[in-house]
Amino acid sequence: MLFAPPDVATGEIFARLGEMLTDPYDLEVIGRTVGLALAVTIICVVLGFPIAYWLARSPSRWSGVFLAVAIFPLMLSNVVRTFGWLVILGSKGALGQLLVQLGIVEVAPQLLYTKLAIILGLTQLFLPLAIISCYSAVAQVDPGLDDASRGLGGSRIRTMWSVVIPLTMPGIVVAATLVFAGSVTAYTTPYLLGGSSQRMLSTQLFNYASTTVDWASASATALIMTVLVFLVSGLSSLIGRKGATS
Amino acid sequence: MKRPITAALAVIGYVIMIVPIIFVVATAFTAGSTLRFPPDGISLRWFDEALGYEPFIGAAISSLELAVLATALALLVGVPVTLAVHRGKLPGKGLVEGLFLSPLIVPELVVGLALFQQLMVGLDLDNFSTLLVGHTALMLPYAVRVTGASLALADPALEEAARGLGASPLRAFFNVTLPILRPGIFSAGLLSAVTSFNNVPLSLLLQGRDFRTMPVTMLDYVQQSYDPMVAAASTLVLAATVVIAVIAERTVGFAKIFGGINQ
Repeated sequence: MLFAPPDVATGEIFARLGEMLTDPYDLEVIGRTVGLALAVTIICVVLGFPIAYWLARSPSRWSGVFLAVAIFPLMLSNVVRTFGWLVILGSKGALGQLLVQLGIVEVAPQLLYTKLAIILGLTQLFLPLAIISCYSAVAQVDPGLDDASRGLGGSRIRTMWSVVIPLTMPGIVVAATLVFAGSVTAYTTPYLLGGSSQRMLSTQLFNYASTTVDWASASATALIMTVLVFLVSGLSSLIGRKGATS
Repeated sequence: MKRPITAALAVIGYVIMIVPIIFVVATAFTAGSTLRFPPDGISLRWFDEALGYEPFIGAAISSLELAVLATALALLVGVPVTLAVHRGKLPGKGLVEGLFLSPLIVPELVVGLALFQQLMVGLDLDNFSTLLVGHTALMLPYAVRVTGASLALADPALEEAARGLGASPLRAFFNVTLPILRPGIFSAGLLSAVTSFNNVPLSLLLQGRDFRTMPVTMLDYVQQSYDPMVAAASTLVLAATVVIAVIAERTVGFAKIFGGINQ
């Protein structure tokens, strides 16, 4: 048993696992993790696909620059990227100040340590991944097919829905899987932007392992995280295989 | 704009990706002592403080050591594996490939926990050795995928030709295969060094008092004090990353480096 510490009985871990799956607080953490990861996955695909399509199809010489700008954040430290949101969403942050000065609210609202903050932070983190996965899928589709569909009288939206999206589905599925798995396991973002009021599985795991030194619970949390990630990547390769044979 | 919806979504996407980074840089140059916006005046004082803050400097050096060593080890193991997978007739090729590519989807925090329990508690290894094992394992997929992508583009007939012309297997490797692989090895090394330097989840549970990594030290600092010094340190990390990115773009090209990951 890989996750079992040498000095903790395996039975104890499964006992904790059983408790977690019935305890309301632990269930809330699991639910929050899955819910936020799903939201981030949808947002990243909805934003990433059009960007990838535009980057792959635009004849503009600027599209190379924009592609580089989209990829560059992948090389940049997550801590640095997430830190920016502290400046924007913090109690004396830019967004709160702006809302007050525009007269939309009287007192700057609590933006940090909310679900919104985590969603923004994770979207920033994983949008480049979604763009790259979709980009390589769109780049493989012959632009002539778009033209043919348009030439045969298909509207722009119809062409998108019945030609481009079905052909790029494998890339979209890969993008969604990477974003979901990344969001479930990300630590820096929920730690800095969610704090202790918006615990996710990763911050919960670290809390068990380091603050409360409860190894059985840490291992049980690790198991839940791993199962979630494997479940989704298994599901996506199943969809991918089905798509390849049909 | 012919596609208003696409344009709007693209703008939102780029704003979310880029604007926070701009705010980090803007805050780093403040003369005031809080993370507020707009900043109170312009100064370089927080850069001075960050460069004089011993924990940051020590952690940056530690992270650099770890990144270089882990990358070297990952390449040393990964390049032969790549060759075996792409050129050799290996039994269970798919399994080997799957094994070396798998860590990209395994939660790093969980790997960190497992390594902590098995190596540090179980085998009594020190922080640095455990971190090195973890980072090397994490970097292996990059080494295998990125060098594999450049190898897949090369014609195996070249090596056969060298062998046919009388070169020994070693000579053929060093004179033909290695030069073909060089851009792949370079980009794999660059990518894995950057990834190792930036890693938080794996290092989190494995670092100790005597060995702390840069991103985790920054994370701890942010949690304790709310001043712009981390913004300055972040800006320095950003500047270094931009330099590396420009080198990568000029030598191999971004698309090739990251294209290798998605294949």
